[in-house]
Amino acid sequence: MWLKMLGGIIIIASGTSIGFLYANRCCERPRQIRQIISCIGSLKSYISYVSLPLAEALINCTNGTCGAVKELFQKTATILKGNGWMTPQEALQQAISETHDLVLEKPEIEVLVVFGANLGSTSRDEQTNYLDMVQEQLAKIECDALKLRDQNSKMYRYLGVCGGLAVVIVLI
Amino acid sequence: MGLDLLFKIAGVGILVSVFHTALKQAGKEDMAHLCTLAGFTIVLFWVVQLLGRLFSTVQDVFKLF
Repeated sequence: MWLKMLGGIIIIASGTSIGFLYANRCCERPRQIRQIISCIGSLKSYISYVSLPLAEALINCTNGTCGAVKELFQKTATILKGNGWMTPQEALQQAISETHDLVLEKPEIEVLVVFGANLGSTSRDEQTNYLDMVQEQLAKIECDALKLRDQNSKMYRYLGVCGGLAVVIVLI
Repeated sequence: MGLDLLFKIAGVGILVSVFHTALKQAGKEDMAHLCTLAGFTIVLFWVVQLLGRLFSTVQDVFKLF
């Protein structure tokens, strides 16, 4: 009897935690996209006004941010510094695959990869224009992610708790 | 068996209704209907076993073969 109760509690707790984990991922995505947008804004000024080399600009533009996005930009900078033959796009792709805390999905990753393709290869004005465009695209994706968050985060919490309870009821 | 199964069916019913409401609010009506169908199938599975027992008991009582 006690063993059954213990098992039931463990199943409910694990179901609940899975639900909350998914809900947190939902909440985290728009936050990370917003951080990327602010980093790109900062990178734009580091490119156009300060004219820093790309690796240093990538490190400096993350000032004030924290978490996975900071890790992503810093990893890109480290890869660029360490491997001079790599293009920014390849470095960014490698950094995306190495940063495990990122909860970004396909649309924003595609935008980021295209953002890497035009970094450091054109004039400063062109890069500024291009970064503006990337920021706009990311802002649209952020809007969609916010809508998805409002819809899904509550649903994931409910489904986690109720899924755990349903499994317990079926197994008892 | 006893009342246990009745309570289990009631529990599944309550949970399925919560599932349905949560999924419908999230705009996933198809998943909500799928979930209701899954709950119905689980309950039907339990009830069919009992019905089978009922029929075999009736056969035994009336000596039907």
